[in-house]
Amino acid sequence: MESLVLALFVCLVLALITKYLSIPAIPFYILAGVILGKAGGGMLTTNEISHFFSEMGLIFLLFFMGLGLKPERIASNRVAVLTSGIIDLNINMIIGFAASYLLGFSLMESVIIASAFYISSTAMALTSLIENRKLMLRESDTVIWLMVFEDLVLIIFLAIISAGNQNLVFFLIKILAVLGVLYALAHYGKEFLISILDRDDELPILFTFAAVLITASFALYLGVPETMMVIALGVAFATTDPDAFEQHARPFKDVFLVVFFVFFGVTVDFSGGANWFVIGAISILAVVSKLISGLLTGLFIHGSALSGLEIWANTIARGEFSIALAVIYGSPVVGTTIAAMVIVTSIVGSFIAKYSGILRRGIVSHGRHRALLRRPH
Amino acid sequence: MALRSLNLPGVGTKYEFETDKGDTVAIFFTKTGIIQMYTLQKGCKTPSAAEMSPVEARRLGNILTGAIIEADQESVEIAFSALADLRITIHTFFVTPAVVGKTIEELQIRAKTGATVIAVCRHDRNIINPPPTFAFEEGDAALIIGESDQIKTFEREIMVN
Repeated sequence: MESLVLALFVCLVLALITKYLSIPAIPFYILAGVILGKAGGGMLTTNEISHFFSEMGLIFLLFFMGLGLKPERIASNRVAVLTSGIIDLNINMIIGFAASYLLGFSLMESVIIASAFYISSTAMALTSLIENRKLMLRESDTVIWLMVFEDLVLIIFLAIISAGNQNLVFFLIKILAVLGVLYALAHYGKEFLISILDRDDELPILFTFAAVLITASFALYLGVPETMMVIALGVAFATTDPDAFEQHARPFKDVFLVVFFVFFGVTVDFSGGANWFVIGAISILAVVSKLISGLLTGLFIHGSALSGLEIWANTIARGEFSIALAVIYGSPVVGTTIAAMVIVTSIVGSFIAKYSGILRRGIVSHGRHRALLRRPH
Repeated sequence: MALRSLNLPGVGTKYEFETDKGDTVAIFFTKTGIIQMYTLQKGCKTPSAAEMSPVEARRLGNILTGAIIEADQESVEIAFSALADLRITIHTFFVTPAVVGKTIEELQIRAKTGATVIAVCRHDRNIINPPPTFAFEEGDAALIIGESDQIKTFEREIMVN
């Protein structure tokens, strides 16, 4: 219990500081876990309570992700979304996979690192667009839809990878069956669900919490992983009143997820046997590979490398989903590598996103200057 | 002037329109509750932005509709372009000593001015459609509806007298 109280207190202080400075909080939550955990004399230790909190954090994160996939959210410019999504997927998956495989990770580990390497932090990208007042830029739309595309890819990826040794087709049919049942429940119980959500008492929050937990616990009986169950529940509920569900699930997500980040940090061990060369290489490549995919997207979609720079600036940060992948499938070494990558990319990303305007202007005026010098007299 | 509205997943709703002179205005209602307004001058590359709370945004909206806003009193003018450009103004007034203790009937508000009292706010409670026998008290705020001339008459004849 003491560990949890200490963790919550540290998070509260960190949240106050990072919000005041408007920098992302996630890397600092992880760092706090790392410092207070194994490296810092074990002030924080994982126990049953922290484990439960962390698991809730993960479950609510994925439930939110499902809620975000509203059926009516089909982009008007499908070609552009597909093009940018496929460029982003291919470049980052290939670079991430090749780098980790060449650096000595096993095939499975490389797949996990590559996926964590690929998926940018939706939360940090959207916050950065709003806080840095970039919503009107045409690149913003590209970034926002890119995040939706990445989420979709992650869900498909989670489905494939969590099949494990089972027959993939049979496994996917099982997931689709679960989704169908939940969908039907949400569809035929829509009136009932909305009448519950409209109430002012404890019922809406209690219902949301219970529905998520009960669905997750059914995973054991059905042989479908929890992750898939809660995403499916989110997708099904999104057909009723997703905003109300987001509102009622948010308190749980916010608190549990912060604890999840801290205790993920606790399990990370930078001191013993961490290969700094590998960690550094992956972290730097994570920044560079998004630059390549960003520039290509900018050139293909907006016809300008400067637009690519803007897309890059807002998609560098890896965050919640990368950590989720590390927690669900990663070995300790993979976890440490992903933790370092998240910390480096989210801090670098937040600074580049803040100063991308200056960066762009600098490049433009430099270009003009050179053009003037070259002009014949 | 073409107005476009767009739902941005995870962010909120975007409204954008281009003026006849080629300037662009974009408004974003974000999920966090804040409202961001961007303006982009024609030929300019970087927009400028203002961030507002919902209350501030409504105030800005009132100013843009052409209503006059005084320190604490405000008014909203609604134009129904389909109804021969009917323009209706709703104005708030804090009651003056001249009307305290008098009823709406005694004051002959409709007969003298043509305006109507549609609501009175008393101690943070709203009384909608007060009856003619309703008497004003000190600290009341009254919501008056009418054409802008009728509102001006109301202010001159009833509140000041």
